[in-house]
Amino acid sequence: MANTEREKELFESLKQGVIDYDEDTVREAAQAVIDEGIDAYTAVFEGLVEGMNEVGRLYEEQEYFVPEILMCADALYAGLEILKPHIEQKDMGIKGTVVMGVVQGDVHDIGKNIVKMMFDVAGFEVHDLGRDVPLEKFVEEQLKTDSDLLCLSAMMTTTMVGMPEVIKKVKEKNPKCKIMIGGAPVSEDLAGKWGADGFAKDANNALKEALNMVKALKDLS
Amino acid sequence: MAVKEFKSEMTGLERALAALTYKKPDRVPVASLVCGASRRVLGVTYDKWSQDAELIGDSLLQTHQIMNNEFDIFVMLVDLSVEAGSFGQKVIYPIESTAYADPNEPMIKTVDDYRKIPRINPRETGRMKVVIEATARVAKAKAKEYGVCGFVYCPLGVIGAMRGHERMFIDCIKNRDAIIEACEIMTPVLEEYAVAQVEAGAQAIVLDTLYASATIMSPKMWEAIEAPYAKRIADAVKKAGGAVVLHNCGGGIYFDVQQQYTDPIAISHAYPAADCKTWEEHAAKWGKKIVSIGALEPAKVGMFWTEEQVMEEARKFIETFKDCDGGFILSTGCEFPPNGSLINAMAIIKAAKAYGTY
Repeated sequence: MANTEREKELFESLKQGVIDYDEDTVREAAQAVIDEGIDAYTAVFEGLVEGMNEVGRLYEEQEYFVPEILMCADALYAGLEILKPHIEQKDMGIKGTVVMGVVQGDVHDIGKNIVKMMFDVAGFEVHDLGRDVPLEKFVEEQLKTDSDLLCLSAMMTTTMVGMPEVIKKVKEKNPKCKIMIGGAPVSEDLAGKWGADGFAKDANNALKEALNMVKALKDLS
Repeated sequence: MAVKEFKSEMTGLERALAALTYKKPDRVPVASLVCGASRRVLGVTYDKWSQDAELIGDSLLQTHQIMNNEFDIFVMLVDLSVEAGSFGQKVIYPIESTAYADPNEPMIKTVDDYRKIPRINPRETGRMKVVIEATARVAKAKAKEYGVCGFVYCPLGVIGAMRGHERMFIDCIKNRDAIIEACEIMTPVLEEYAVAQVEAGAQAIVLDTLYASATIMSPKMWEAIEAPYAKRIADAVKKAGGAVVLHNCGGGIYFDVQQQYTDPIAISHAYPAADCKTWEEHAAKWGKKIVSIGALEPAKVGMFWTEEQVMEEARKFIETFKDCDGGFILSTGCEFPPNGSLINAMAIIKAAKAYGTY
């Protein structure tokens, strides 16, 4: 069994590996965590998630941009791939479940992928439907999973017009589901007009909004 | 504000040239980014429109006509997959939406594929040829009296469409040499494409430098990758006798770095420059250095605002840029929504006439 100092060293490697988008370092440290019998759950949250928190700060301060974020995401997922199978589901402290995707006709999915990563590291169970998702599929998946949240993304005015249809159908069938929209042509005004519960200006904001919404749901129940 | 009765004293071209040279025109000029939306005037589907020079040209001309020939500048933007498709990327043409590169079949599948991009002749290939012909058609009919701007997507945008943007961004860090090699192959083709549009009658070329914005990448990365190639295309345009205009609808556009490399006379943009927090600050800092073309929110103008709201928002922009010695052109900050209200597109012109006299 590793000692506390060794744990700290590996968690720091996981954190710094994510910040430096160094997949190899992250993989090696994650494997060492498993091999040395260190708690994988703690490694995720004190290593990988700490790293992503710092990446989020660097993004907000415009030291990191989209290419760096994508690289950090790759490093993060390299670590999660090794650590996650060793964490029992009950230990994960799931904050909520979310169904997400880019609406039909739209293939711009970078923003959605970054938001997905933020949800992953924050402990959400994410059902990612991908891009160019038929509108009906959102409704089906939301009902099937009874997710707390539904997140819709669009980057074109010709595709965003599908959003109100999805929002209406989901709200009819499952009014307690919170719906958030995002993407270049949408706005807070539109979210309100279409009956969505929130609007994500960017990935950090998406996560903050989501956490508030889920908290509101839990407070109600 | 009192609405003045406007009496035209200039042609659209004179008006645009006055604004671009900081001489106050008779009113604020209007650049039309009613591009894909123009197909509805002609009554053709999007897929047919975006592949046919005659339909593109005629739809823009008819749109001008139904707008009483009152917008001042045509922009020959068809969509952002024109260049990639001409290089060989598979493009999907929806019937009722903008064409796009098929993300499931990227032409650049591996890092080695960056080096295999063919050196095509844009005058003879794919939709680059179509756009050149459409430009000639519009210029022949209108360039004596109106501004006609060609349109070229800069190399990173084209490469992104051929590789998948996410993969390309990662390659900007992991495999930068390969990206630069692709830019080397592509740039002479894009230079030739731009020059061909000038020769077809466009007085200016709009270069889309989307990635030179804080929404996407650092100024340092843009300088290290695309900037030298954007400069080469800009230089080719100038050498051919055309003016250089940039379009960038990203947030936090790098006006300073782009000025350094491409020295544009104007930038069509949707948000203030990266070094300005507000439009007021932007107008004070950049308004007399680089003419702003913009910057009404396309989705709101096209789809949600009333005609009165469009006019009011346009009035605010005119007011913000009123002390820039005439150096302002009114437009949407990006393409007018292809499914947007043409009444609202016309309201932009109405606002320029009502509030845009100096």
